[in-house]
Amino acid sequence: MNLKTEVLIIGGGATGVGIARDLSLRGIPSLLIEKGDFLSGASGRNHGLFHSGARYVVSDPEAARECITENRILRKIVPHCIEETDGLFVSLPEDDLDFRDRFIQACQEITIPAHLLSRDETLSLEPELHPDLLSSVKVPDGAIDPFELVLGNAKDAEDHGAKFLLHTEITSLLLEGNRIKSVLAKDLVGGDEYSIETSYLINATGAWADHFLKRIGLRIGVALSKGSMLITNQRFTQRVINRCRPPSDGDIIVPNHTVSILGTTSVRSEEVEQFEITPEEITLLIKETSRMIPAIEGCRFIRAYAGIRPLFQSGEKGDDRAISRGFALIDHGKRDGIKNLITITGGKLVTYRLMAEKTSDLLCQKMGVDVSCTTHIKPLPGAEKSSGLKNRLAAIGQEETLCDCELVQKAEVEAVLKEGKLKNLQDILHRTRLAKGTCQGAFCVYRLLGVLHDLGMVKVDSNKVLKGFLEERWKGIRPVLWGSALKEEELIEGIYKGIFNL
Amino acid sequence: MHYDLIVIGMGLSGLMAAKTAAEMGKKVLIIGKGLGTLSIFSNTIDLLGTIPPTMKMKDGLSQWVHDHPEHPYGKVGLEKIEEALSSFNSFFPPPYTFQSKNDANSLVPTGAGTFRLTYLIPSTMMKGINLKEKKTLIIGFEGYKDFYARRLADLLNCRGITLSLSENPQTEMTAAALARRMEKPSLRDFIGAEVKKEIRDEELIGFPAVLGVNDPMGVRKDIEKKIGASIFEIPGLPPSIPGMRIFNRFKAKLIQKGGNFLSGYSVSKAIPRKNHFEKIEVFHPPVTNSYSADHFILATGRFIGGGLLADRERIVEPLFNLPVSYIGSQEEWFGKSFFAQHSIHGYGILTDASLRPIDENGKPIFENVWVAGTILSGHHCVNEKSREGIEITTGYWAARNAMKL
Repeated sequence: MNLKTEVLIIGGGATGVGIARDLSLRGIPSLLIEKGDFLSGASGRNHGLFHSGARYVVSDPEAARECITENRILRKIVPHCIEETDGLFVSLPEDDLDFRDRFIQACQEITIPAHLLSRDETLSLEPELHPDLLSSVKVPDGAIDPFELVLGNAKDAEDHGAKFLLHTEITSLLLEGNRIKSVLAKDLVGGDEYSIETSYLINATGAWADHFLKRIGLRIGVALSKGSMLITNQRFTQRVINRCRPPSDGDIIVPNHTVSILGTTSVRSEEVEQFEITPEEITLLIKETSRMIPAIEGCRFIRAYAGIRPLFQSGEKGDDRAISRGFALIDHGKRDGIKNLITITGGKLVTYRLMAEKTSDLLCQKMGVDVSCTTHIKPLPGAEKSSGLKNRLAAIGQEETLCDCELVQKAEVEAVLKEGKLKNLQDILHRTRLAKGTCQGAFCVYRLLGVLHDLGMVKVDSNKVLKGFLEERWKGIRPVLWGSALKEEELIEGIYKGIFNL
Repeated sequence: MHYDLIVIGMGLSGLMAAKTAAEMGKKVLIIGKGLGTLSIFSNTIDLLGTIPPTMKMKDGLSQWVHDHPEHPYGKVGLEKIEEALSSFNSFFPPPYTFQSKNDANSLVPTGAGTFRLTYLIPSTMMKGINLKEKKTLIIGFEGYKDFYARRLADLLNCRGITLSLSENPQTEMTAAALARRMEKPSLRDFIGAEVKKEIRDEELIGFPAVLGVNDPMGVRKDIEKKIGASIFEIPGLPPSIPGMRIFNRFKAKLIQKGGNFLSGYSVSKAIPRKNHFEKIEVFHPPVTNSYSADHFILATGRFIGGGLLADRERIVEPLFNLPVSYIGSQEEWFGKSFFAQHSIHGYGILTDASLRPIDENGKPIFENVWVAGTILSGHHCVNEKSREGIEITTGYWAARNAMKL
C-alpha cells in the first residue's frame, strides 16, 4: 500500500505522540509509526514519578528548571493523569545535612517550593518512614500515569487529524540526494507492507535512536541505561519519598494507585530489548529503600520490571542540540546533511511536552511555517474528569468484575474493546487496569479471553495467547518469588500447569 | 487431651492419615487451618500423568517406582499405593465413586479447553472422557465468570452456550453459590427446560463442576432426566466443588469413626523433648490449649498453606523445624520459563522409607514424627500430575507406619 504524509514520526512513546499532538494542534498533518503499541519503550516502563525537578537541583539545575516549568504546565493540562501527592526528601542520620541545606537553597534559586519539616512533622505525615530520620524537605513531586497521559495525547492528536500505524516496523529508508524520500514499513500483525512517502521525518525512537539512524549510516551516541524497579503489594506512603542526597540507586519510592514503586537502578546496557533484572539489583533496591521505610524489608512484592533510558552524551560536536542537557534535539540537516530528518531523544517523561514543542518548532522552521505551539495552554480532553477509582468503587457489586484485584468491570473492558484497533492482548492490558494488581493477571486474563471469545474477537488459538501471557508475566514475577508471593505462584502453577495442563 | 495420633494439616494427606489411624481403632485428632488444597486443586485423583493412556497404570507406575527411589512413590512402593487407593475408594461407595477406565489414565476435558491425563475420575466427570467421540454441548452461566462455555467449546470442537439464570445478567455468581442453587429442584427445572430448547443432535452435555455439593449424582440424574441426554462436569478454576465433596465426605466419616476435628486453628507451637514430640499448642483466643499424643503426622503441605516458608536464601519448615532439602538460593530455584519444572518444587522434607524425617546422615530426627503429602521432597506433583496420588498414598503409609509401632 502506498501512503503519503507531510511529516512521518517514528516512535509511539510520550515524545512521538506528544509531537503528533503538537503538530496536529498547529494544523500540520502527521503519520506516526510504532513497531509495538504506544508506550512500548521507556514511556511505559518508568517510575511514574511526576518530577518537580528537585531531584536535579544540585546536580543539573537546567534540567531541574525544565522539570518545574513543565510540572506547573502539566498540572493544568493533564490533571487527570497526575496524583498531586507532594514529595518528601528525607535525611537519615548517615546523610549529609550540608547537602540538605544546599538542596533547599538550590530549590529556592529556581523557584521550586521547598519546605523543611522536622522529624516529628515528617513522621506525622508519613508514619511508615524510619523513626530515626532527621528531617525532610517537602517539594511538589507527584505521581503520573504514563498510559493515561500518552493515550490521551494520542486520542486528541487523532481527533485533530494525526494518523497512527501501530505494530508497524520500518524495514528500510530510501534516500534521494540529501533527503529521505520514503520509508518501507511492515505491519507486524496483519503482514501488510507500506511504502510511505514523506516530506519530513522525525526520529522519536528514544532508546532506539541510534538503531534507527544506523540504516542511513548515522550515529549520535545514545548510551543505554537500564533502570529496574520493584512494585510492592501495598502503598506505604501518600507522598513520593526521596532520599535527600545526591541522586543514587534505590532512593525513590513513588506511590501509584494502591501500590508503591521502588526504584531505581542504573546499569549500562548494550541491549535495548533483551535485558534482565538481576538478583543484585533486587537486593540493592530492597536494602536502600528499606532504610527509608523499614517495612519494605518484609513486604510482599508483586513484580519487578525494568526500562531502558536513552541518555544523550553531551560533548558531541554540533551546535543544534537542545538548550538543555536533559534531552537532545538534533537537526540532521546541519549535522549530517540530511535536510529533512530530526532526531529527538533523552529527556524525562515530565518534559515530554517541552520536547515535543521544541521538535515541532524546529520542524516548522524547516518547513518555513510560522505557527505557535499551544500544548502548554490547551488541556487534554478528559482533564475535567475525576479519578477513576471512585467510579470503580461505586460499581462494585453492581456489575461483573473481571479483575478482582483492581476492580475492573467487564463493561469497562467491553467499552475499550469496542473502540477497536486493538491488535493483541498487550494492547488491551495497556488500556485498562487488568493484570496490574496482586495476582498480575493470573485470573483476569483467563476471563478476558473468555469475554473476547464471546465477542467473536479471538482469531487465533486463545490458549496460545494465554500461555504467551503467562510467560511474559513470569519475567516480572520470577525475581520476587519468595514469602507470600510464592504462595500465590504455587496457586497459579497448580491451576495452569496442573488443573488446566497448559 | 491425649491422643494416639495427632495429624497436623487437613488436606487430603492429613485426612487419609487420620482415616487410616481411625480405622485401626486409634484415638485421632486432626487439626488444620482449613480445607487444604483440596478445595483449590482437587477434582479427579491424579496418580501419575506421565503414563500414557495406552499403558496399564500398574505397569507404568511399577517402572516409575523402580526408577525413582527418592520419590514418595518409590518410598511407599507399588503394593501400598494400591492399598491406599482402595482405602480411599472405600469412602466413596456408589453412586459417587472414583474410577479409572480400563485401569489406565484417561483424558478429561478442563475448563481451559484442554485435556488432562488423570487416573481416578468421579462419576460426575466420567462421561467427559467420551467428548471426542460424541457430539457435545457445553453449558455456561451468565455471571459465572470463571467458566466460558463458548471458548471452551471452540477449543474442544463442540458447541457452547451461556444460560442466563437471573433477570439481571450482570449479577455475579460464585462456584459455591451455583453449587448450592443446583440443589434446588426449581433451578434444575429451569436449566432442564432451557437446555432442552437449545439442544440439537448432541448426546452429551457438559457443565462446569458445580452440580451440587452434597448430592451431585442426584442433581445430575435429575437434570439428565429433564434434558434427555447424558451430562458431565468439567473441572475448572478454584474453588473446587468436587474437592469440597471429598473433604465433606472425609469429615463426616471420620467423625462417625470417632475421630476429632479441630478446624480453623493453626498450631502455634510444637514442643519436643529430646528426639520425641510431646504436645502441640493451639491458640484459641484468648486461651492456649495444648494437645499431647504418642505420635504425630505432619501434613501441612507446601507454600500455600504455610507448611514451607521461603525467603531469598532459605526454605524452612516452621513447625517442627525439620530440615528442608534445597540447593542454592532464590535465583536458582526457578527456571526461565513459567512452564519449566522449577527445582524449588522438588525440595521438601527428606524422609526414610517409613516417612520419618531424617537428618543429613539419613538418621530419623524424631522417633514419633512422620511426614505425609506434598511437603515431602523428591516429587514435582504439578508437572507429574501426581498430587492426589502422593497425598493419598503417603497419608496412608505414614499412618500405617506410625500406628504399627
